[in-house]
Amino acid sequence: MAGSNGIASQDWAGRYDHIDQILNTPGPRTSPAFMAGDGVKDFLRNQAKILVIGAGGLGCEILANLALTGFKDIHVIDMDTIDISNLNRQFLFRPKDVGQPKATVAAEFIMKRVPGIKVTPYFGKIQDKDDEYYMQFNLVICGLDSVEARRWINATLVNLVDPENLESLKPLIDGGTEGFKGQARVILPTITSCYECSLDMLNKPTAFPICTIANTPRLPEHCIEWASVLEWPRVHRDKKMDTDDPDHINWLYTVASARAREFKIEGVTWSLTQGVVKNIIPAIASTNAIIAAACCNEAFKIATSSAAFLNNYFMLIGTEGVYSYTFEHEKRDDCPVCGGESLEMSIGPEITVEELIDMLTEKQDIQIKKPSLSSGSIQIYLQAPPQLEAITRPNLQKKVSELLPTGGEVTVTASTLPFNLSLNITYK
Amino acid sequence: MIKIWSMKKNEDAAAKKKPKVSAAQIRVQKDLTELDLPATMQTNFPDPADLLNFILTITPDEGMYKGGAFVFSFAINSNYPHDPPKVKCTQTIYHPNVDLEGNVCLNILREDWKPVLNLNSVMVGLQYLFLEPNADDPLNKEAAVEMSKARDQFLSNVKSSMRGANIKGVQYANVLVR
Amino acid sequence: MSLTESPEIISAQPDSKTRRYDRQLRLWASSGQTLLEESRILVLSSSATSTSILKNLVLPGIGHFTILDDAITSAADAGNNFFLEGPSSIGKRRASEAVRLLAELNDSVTGEAVTSTPVASVVSSLNFLSKFTLIITHNLPPSQLQTLSDTLWSSPTAPALLAVSSSGFFAEFFIQHHPHPIIESHTETPPSLRIRDPFPALLEHSKSLKLSELDPTEHAHIPYIPILIHARSLVPHDPKTQEEKNAFKTLILSLKFKQDEENFDEAHAQAYRVWTPTSLPSSLTQDIFPHLDTKLAPPAIPGIMHALLTALRRFTEREPHVLPVSPGLPDMKASTETYIHLQRMYKDQFNSDKEMFKSLIPPNPGEIPDDLIETFIRNAHGVQVFVGEQWGAFDKDVNRVGEALVVSPKDTSVHLALRAVREALENSGASEGASANVSAEEIKMHIVGMLPPDTELGEEIDKAIGEITRSPTADLPNTAAMLGGLVAQEAIKMITRQYVPQGGYCIVDCIDMRTGIVGL
Repeated sequence: MAGSNGIASQDWAGRYDHIDQILNTPGPRTSPAFMAGDGVKDFLRNQAKILVIGAGGLGCEILANLALTGFKDIHVIDMDTIDISNLNRQFLFRPKDVGQPKATVAAEFIMKRVPGIKVTPYFGKIQDKDDEYYMQFNLVICGLDSVEARRWINATLVNLVDPENLESLKPLIDGGTEGFKGQARVILPTITSCYECSLDMLNKPTAFPICTIANTPRLPEHCIEWASVLEWPRVHRDKKMDTDDPDHINWLYTVASARAREFKIEGVTWSLTQGVVKNIIPAIASTNAIIAAACCNEAFKIATSSAAFLNNYFMLIGTEGVYSYTFEHEKRDDCPVCGGESLEMSIGPEITVEELIDMLTEKQDIQIKKPSLSSGSIQIYLQAPPQLEAITRPNLQKKVSELLPTGGEVTVTASTLPFNLSLNITYK
Repeated sequence: MIKIWSMKKNEDAAAKKKPKVSAAQIRVQKDLTELDLPATMQTNFPDPADLLNFILTITPDEGMYKGGAFVFSFAINSNYPHDPPKVKCTQTIYHPNVDLEGNVCLNILREDWKPVLNLNSVMVGLQYLFLEPNADDPLNKEAAVEMSKARDQFLSNVKSSMRGANIKGVQYANVLVR
Repeated sequence: MSLTESPEIISAQPDSKTRRYDRQLRLWASSGQTLLEESRILVLSSSATSTSILKNLVLPGIGHFTILDDAITSAADAGNNFFLEGPSSIGKRRASEAVRLLAELNDSVTGEAVTSTPVASVVSSLNFLSKFTLIITHNLPPSQLQTLSDTLWSSPTAPALLAVSSSGFFAEFFIQHHPHPIIESHTETPPSLRIRDPFPALLEHSKSLKLSELDPTEHAHIPYIPILIHARSLVPHDPKTQEEKNAFKTLILSLKFKQDEENFDEAHAQAYRVWTPTSLPSSLTQDIFPHLDTKLAPPAIPGIMHALLTALRRFTEREPHVLPVSPGLPDMKASTETYIHLQRMYKDQFNSDKEMFKSLIPPNPGEIPDDLIETFIRNAHGVQVFVGEQWGAFDKDVNRVGEALVVSPKDTSVHLALRAVREALENSGASEGASANVSAEEIKMHIVGMLPPDTELGEEIDKAIGEITRSPTADLPNTAAMLGGLVAQEAIKMITRQYVPQGGYCIVDCIDMRTGIVGL
């Protein structure tokens, strides 16, 4: 088919014979919105723009799958460089690439292997990019190993949702793996449960009591934590420990080994030392392939409407047979990101902060007591602690319009609210 | 693209727009403004615009540490409350559960931290350490041994350390309330 | 401590191979890695699914792979297979192109393309097939797959078969294997701590504790194991009724000096160990021990493995009918000294049990390395023999198929649709990967033939037929990648003899995004 961006000209006859079997005909469970044939192909191949976050274990797989599926405008962000320990699974990298940025090497490899695909890499942090950047994509797929980065992109995409603009809702597909286990999920920001809603499902990394580490070590891990948590800062003061520096690991290993000998504890090894201080999670190609495929398959179904998509959580445990569980994770009303109430308030330009607070506490439907108000980094009025209350007290007499432009967002917290209330203030 | 918006009920469509504030930030605002501290604990923000870094001073009004003012630094990262706050004692003090580097042995700061806990629980936990030091799971082992084996000596060490004495070659900070 | 102020730094960073494989060695260790590196894999296709599977085996470092496939790369192949180079591969031997690009992934793996031998000529050659550790097929025509399965089933030492089938969003795979012993199953059930049947040293140690005479710090650091055994000596008989159990728990807490003694809280939480019998796992007593002289006799399983299992059976036949002690002790609240002391006791008992175990090994099998015996005893509580059946046996039994359709209609419908589509495609003479139309009527006819007469087909069958006729020959990139992961994962478990592979047909439905098992 003819494309508008010139890329489609590289589509040799028969290139998409496999995928076209799906795109030419609806299945028995396909939604009526499916535009079988040229319509859906044009969207997938010439219009859809997709962002991949992470070019590591999942990211490499995701990029390859998307490219073969026919997504032609792919962007990828990753802040890491290639390490030798990546090569057992991150199959777009070779030994000669060690030290190079993952995003760049992965993008080049895909473009070389799969003709006619544009992959735009960004070697840096997701936090470097603004809303306008994320607005340009139809879909976002995440293959990250960091809770913090996931929380950030999740909150960013939820915040991006503007009821006035249908394009602002970006489905977020998130994958994660650990050894033979993994999960993939579909998040429709503000509609389904979000990443923050499920934060309590996470296994937290093992932490040992600091007094055990200091006084009653029993395990090799206790000796290693003694070296890294107590001895490193004591001996090296402000010098930051770099867990990627083999000299630092050597130091920790030496110190931990000596401690283990002193207490007759067996089992401190270099590899265990590195594993404990870097919190290394085992990772293999096969699990990444399963989870990445699940993510890309959802991206394909969402982008094409060719089949129903995952609602909304797929969990796999491969240690004993192939066990999986597909379920709907429930949205949480008290989720700090997607829960909470939002209120439009139109007030007179003369209204003071104190009057606004009175208006809030008098509102029967929200039952708010002693609210604290802020907007971005501006503290409008905080009820406690005393120092901050005193500092923000003068604001009570100020007009809201002096502190906040029209359309400004106010974050309201109070012990009577499940989490928070967000106010959108406009002036009459 | 799948028609996501058709899934959304009309009444919801009104407004879900959120401010550009991180979940960690809102949570810290919530924790701080709902603090319910006794007179023996006081927070101080060196930079009031920065809610993530502050000081807590504990002035016990009973127990062996009465008369002292103990200062802890709190540092909260952007992954709060998934990660616990980092708390250190800023003074060199003589206490079985605080080492000379200022590390504090309090379970909810490490192994037992969970996101449902909050800053108030941490502060209450810290204050408890001054009322009921625990000699069985110490961080400062010498102090702990003294406490369980020679209680009078321990109490006298506590008193003199609080005045800024030098005990067995360790110079303690004068923490007496001025 | 001057040692730690300026320690003489030991430089012990592992070699580059260990660093490359670090993230997987943390799962299957060097023992698993060695087996992986010794393995030789044969794949009878170079479809997108086949190369996806191979990718996930070459990366972790199998020894060798052979692709046997005489296909010429088509335009469609070049579009859906990452291990072909787009249009420049079209017209070339597909297997040769795939081997070249797969081999790039890992220098230590050798690959070979066999492009001149038709698959039909090897499926009955036990000689050729026996050169490999594992045979993998994808969408092999049913008649050839049946011959291959028969050939491999005929000899107890023939390699395992992993048969994969997929169409569009649906897929399944089946592992055909002879009895497959697994020592390191990585079970999540921990070994017994022998609290109910303490070995003499542990019993002596616990009895000798004068809990009430300890100083408070020591008292707060006695591990929960001796606490429980001690508490047990304080009651006239083991708690049986709920009341007795509650009273026992209260007794434990009453031994506390202070409210916050966590070791007593741990003992309280672990109190059930006192009244839970130290029973032997049924995976040993039912699935292995009774069959050692019959269906598990060599050559069904290797002689060494048989000798170890026989010794284990003999060991458990002795009083007190328990497994040898495992030397690993979980972490528990304790002082370093008491914990290390306890750990020493378990290690000593492990060593003496090991000597006893060794004396029970039948003389025949020859030299058994000491570290294998250690590994075996360490993992005795999780040892399994994975016993399966021949590929297709389930489908030949209409009653089993009929029952499965009632119990799990969704998964069974997908399975039947996949079996039917393979039959239909073979009948139509369509070559693998080429577009072909298959009618719903024909699929339905095949399905009806696999079910008991007059079975009501139901809605799930209709949906599966609708979906399978939509894309009968589609090897979708995402389905291929998913199978690549799932099948490679099972292959790794088979090759390393660690973790537990899946029995029966594993069904994958990429629309609902779920997996299920049929025919177990």
